[in-house]
Amino acid sequence: MNKAEREKWYEYHSGKEGIPVEYLKRDFEDELSGKNAMDDPLEIPDKMDVIYKYSYGQQSRFFRELRENKKIYGAKCNQCSKVYCPPRATCSFCYEPTEWVPLEGTGIITACTVQYFTTSAFIKKLPFICAYIKLDGTNFIMMTNIEAKDVSQIDVGTRVKAHFREERHGAITDVYFKPIEQE
Amino acid sequence: MRKVAIVGMGTTKFKARWLDKTYYELAFDAGKMAMEDAGINRKQIDCAVYGIYNDFFQRQYQPDAFVHDYLGLGLKPMVRVNSGGATGGSALRIGYSEVASGLYDICLVLGVEKCNDCYNYEVQTTTPEVLRAILYTADMTYDNPAGRTAASGFALAVIAHMKKYGNPTEEQMAKVSVKNHMNATKNPIAQSPKILTIEDVLNSRKIVEPFKFYDNCLYTEGSSAVILASEAVARELTDKPVWITGVGASADYVMPGNRPNIYTFESSRQAAKRAYQMAGIKDPIKELDLAELHDAFTGTEIMAYEDCFFCEEGQGGSLIDNETVMPYGELPVNLSGGLIGCGHAVGATGIMQTYEVALHLRDEAGERQLKNARRGLVQSIGGTLCTWTVCLVLERED
Repeated sequence: MNKAEREKWYEYHSGKEGIPVEYLKRDFEDELSGKNAMDDPLEIPDKMDVIYKYSYGQQSRFFRELRENKKIYGAKCNQCSKVYCPPRATCSFCYEPTEWVPLEGTGIITACTVQYFTTSAFIKKLPFICAYIKLDGTNFIMMTNIEAKDVSQIDVGTRVKAHFREERHGAITDVYFKPIEQE
Repeated sequence: MRKVAIVGMGTTKFKARWLDKTYYELAFDAGKMAMEDAGINRKQIDCAVYGIYNDFFQRQYQPDAFVHDYLGLGLKPMVRVNSGGATGGSALRIGYSEVASGLYDICLVLGVEKCNDCYNYEVQTTTPEVLRAILYTADMTYDNPAGRTAASGFALAVIAHMKKYGNPTEEQMAKVSVKNHMNATKNPIAQSPKILTIEDVLNSRKIVEPFKFYDNCLYTEGSSAVILASEAVARELTDKPVWITGVGASADYVMPGNRPNIYTFESSRQAAKRAYQMAGIKDPIKELDLAELHDAFTGTEIMAYEDCFFCEEGQGGSLIDNETVMPYGELPVNLSGGLIGCGHAVGATGIMQTYEVALHLRDEAGERQLKNARRGLVQSIGGTLCTWTVCLVLERED
């Protein structure tokens, strides 16, 4: 391909896959300027992509409460009294409906770890803490991020409290946790 | 149920990048090798089971259809299974059922995975994008948005185990890494043969507490296949049949809140128990000669010693310290190098592990051949905190 053709190719793919032109040039200039042989393996940029308008179904109230009221709700089984958080509309053991119960937003760390490497989507956050926590008043554990000034303050058994983002989207990440003694 | 034997098998090399093959071209190579090994051609195959994990890796939904076409198996029944890291084990379990039930006499079980077409253009490596593809399998509503990875999920379980039992220690985990990389030096298909010291592992860069770089398996491209046959057909085809005498499987609650704890993998315990029961094994450490366990991480190999009943709960770390699981030990684990040394080509992995055990049972493992190998275990696990486990017991004829 000549220079003009190459530029067009970069623009086309940058638009189609959302990859900056300078990155595409880094990886494809040799190929497009004819440095590879005809029978060499040929790599191309591509992307798999689907856009959603996803329904939270019976869990909808949980996310509206987070977004609108900065409240965490659990779901309590009418029969066995197990409290789920993340919530579910039906108890998976009794097959009975659950009811919404407001939670204090405090809890305890069941297991936690520090991530030094992660996926493309989160790479700019590194390092960060991922933990399983059990919220007070529930019989369940949930995955969450913990924010702490010092990682040494965090351990199994550490008490934590919910904090809410200033800008909330109706997603689980509207809430994060901090150790209580750090406040 | 009818007896089922492995009558043929083949595998490609496990490596980071098969730049010159698509996933179905890679699958073709393994399938062809397995058919040649069994002395059959494509027309003699009655049905197929494909183990392919991640559609994002392959850049293709329903990739099984294209593998089936490329192998020239059109109009024969087939099904694709996907159970995360346990995909290969699950494919074998379904293939076993196809033949044991009497529905079919000859079944091709083929796993393939090609992950490293995923690519992060900013950092110019594949791994962060491979991880992004994997994380679509974490709960999208509550789990994925926290940015956790497969490694951090298992790290949380290992940390819970350490808190409960005081092991595995980081040094014990490093010993497992040294062992598996060392074992890989004798395996011609392995991706990561290396002579490492415990310090090399401990000093390698942190990935997720407590795992360092060498505690983790790598992302691998590869394909492995076996041909399963009924007893009557097996007798005609080979004088070295490898019998599948135990099959156990379990799928745990994926939401850890529904489990009593996260420091044991109950699906692994259930699957092992069932496989031993079926094979008539009462004392696995005495009655098994070798095992291929799913060492996606060093810490989970140590947890697997417990979950497969090689020792009491909480004692896993002792088996690497006292060298039980070394190639010269009482029960060698991961002579192939495992996922850490040989590689983890997800859908193919359980089939590669089975290939390895069968190779020893057929006395064809070359430099790493275990003497008098008569019976071996394959453990295939996958999913958030080991949602799925499949265990297989394989035995030689005499």
